[in-house]
Amino acid sequence: MIDQFALSQALDLLFSSFTPWLWVIPGLLIGLVFGSIPGLQISMAMAVFLPVTFGMDFLQAMLFLTSIFTGGAYGGGVTAILMNIPGSSSSIATAFDGYPMARQGKHNEALGLGLAASVVGAFVGYMLLMLLIQPLAAFVLKIGPLEMVVVVLWGLTLIATLNDSALSKGLLAGFFGLMLSQIGMSTTGVMRTSVGMPYLIDGLPVVPAMIGIFAASELLRLRGGTYLVRNEDQRDISFGRILKGASETFKYPGVLVRGSLLGAVIGAIPGVGSSVANLVSYGEAKRTSKTPERFGKGAPEGVVAAESANSSSEGGSMTALLALGIPGGAATAVLLAAFSFHNIIGGPSFIRNQTDIVYSIILGNLGQVALLAVLGLLSLRLLGLVVRVPLSYLVPSVLAMCAWGGYGITGTIAGPLTVAGFAALGWLMRRNNYPVAATVIGLLLGRMMEGELVRTMQISGGNPLRYMLERPIALILFAVMLLVLIGAPLLKAMRRRRATEV
Amino acid sequence: MTGKLHATHAALIGIILAISGFITWSAVSARASMDNLIVVAPVAAAIALLSVVLIVATLVKPAPAPAEDDDTEETSDPGIWGDMLLLAGFAAFCYALTHIGFDLATFLFVWAGVVMSGGKGWWQPPLFAAAFTALLVYGFGSLFPYPMLTLVL
Repeated sequence: MIDQFALSQALDLLFSSFTPWLWVIPGLLIGLVFGSIPGLQISMAMAVFLPVTFGMDFLQAMLFLTSIFTGGAYGGGVTAILMNIPGSSSSIATAFDGYPMARQGKHNEALGLGLAASVVGAFVGYMLLMLLIQPLAAFVLKIGPLEMVVVVLWGLTLIATLNDSALSKGLLAGFFGLMLSQIGMSTTGVMRTSVGMPYLIDGLPVVPAMIGIFAASELLRLRGGTYLVRNEDQRDISFGRILKGASETFKYPGVLVRGSLLGAVIGAIPGVGSSVANLVSYGEAKRTSKTPERFGKGAPEGVVAAESANSSSEGGSMTALLALGIPGGAATAVLLAAFSFHNIIGGPSFIRNQTDIVYSIILGNLGQVALLAVLGLLSLRLLGLVVRVPLSYLVPSVLAMCAWGGYGITGTIAGPLTVAGFAALGWLMRRNNYPVAATVIGLLLGRMMEGELVRTMQISGGNPLRYMLERPIALILFAVMLLVLIGAPLLKAMRRRRATEV
Repeated sequence: MTGKLHATHAALIGIILAISGFITWSAVSARASMDNLIVVAPVAAAIALLSVVLIVATLVKPAPAPAEDDDTEETSDPGIWGDMLLLAGFAAFCYALTHIGFDLATFLFVWAGVVMSGGKGWWQPPLFAAAFTALLVYGFGSLFPYPMLTLVL
């Protein structure tokens, strides 16, 4: 599976001089900052710093840009834990349990859990990429719209598990998100619900909507309180407790390994990526847990599942880029642009002819993961200070940042107004115990679902069931999904009944 | 005694039904073909059904006995007006960003927001608002790839 000669050349390229590593630490810091500020996205950071790579050689440029990617993936989780603001869609599930942990004064442990799970997840993702890049590339080529429909459906099933009070409320919130995703031009070019506003042609901007419904509505709920963490004794940023949280990650090896594997596989599917991976992984951790009722109330497994999956999906997303030359998302699209700046074309010939460079990029990323652990630990002391800021100052300041973030995404008034509209919606939903995350998931996946469904219908000639029988990967994915959704709870119920009989 | 639908819950369901109804109507009138309604039609049906279920369930369910818990302060009705005032202020701030300038709008909103959220002292809130605005304009704003209207800074 590994070309030994190319591997030794890659090691030589990486370690014969310090030059390739020169930009890794700045890249990780840029990623951490961009990832942890709502509205600043990793892809934006990579695009902003892309011109800097003109003067670098290819490997140095790749390591710099991928270090922004690696740092950003973790940075998004920090604000999700501390303020319930997912820095990007890949950190949505991190907020589900990370934020309740922070509110209980366990922010140090939650940050430690997130960091360790991210590091392990990213490590697993890149190791898998190194070992399986060629077979994975062949697998990715066989993924069609029907397989994507199954994966997106899997992500959507999480909606049913996000009910705080009643299942019907969770479903209504999720379906409403799906409905909102249908605003704007459809996959087939039909204009719907644009109400004469050019801003709505591409649909509702998802990230500002997410910032509004998660963050702004939560901040309104916090108004009138004193501090994020009520107990003064627990507001400290303790290095020891962060490390304790990090070590606690390894108490959940099943969740960690499953999350990392799910993230790597889902991340490899172009267009799906980390935003679905963290949701699927969280949903699976909750379904298979012996104590699913603890999820959403500060369960450490929830943080581990989400962070391991979103970090390992980074390695997965590199599969399609390196092996096929297909960007799986916005961040890898910027990497592809860097490829073209350096006259390099990704794809099978790149892997075949420049295996040493491919291995160098992967090994370089493994090195970045180790550096992330150190930098993450050092920066958490600074980022964690947010729990010491009085809420009377924190609430309006972060609300203002949310609106700015909305503008940073769209560049028009549509961004801040979307934040405000979704803040009001989120406030209403939270007051009535509706899970706001379900609406975000619907909004995020609805457009993808529609596009893949339409393509499936077109390819299958209007008979998707017969077409499914010709698609073994879709059949297997569908069977696994059914097994997980129906089989696992049935098995658990049977075991519980047997236990009560004994 | 049966339960009753709270005003905010009724408003939420009303908003969901109104927006969903409008999107469905707009999609059907744009083109009533399967590829255009593949998500809209089943989702609209599910929303209508779930709304009815929720309304009936709320009205039929016995009213819960008043309970005392830690979060009473956060969910009580007196807080609703404060929340709505801050929400209205936030909406006005979002609108004002590109109209009066990012710097002035942020300064005024943060100052008012700190006071509304219980910030004490007469000089600390405006000083903090000014420092925070400057930080946003010269820090956050410099990273924007778009032009940003400012009045003073």
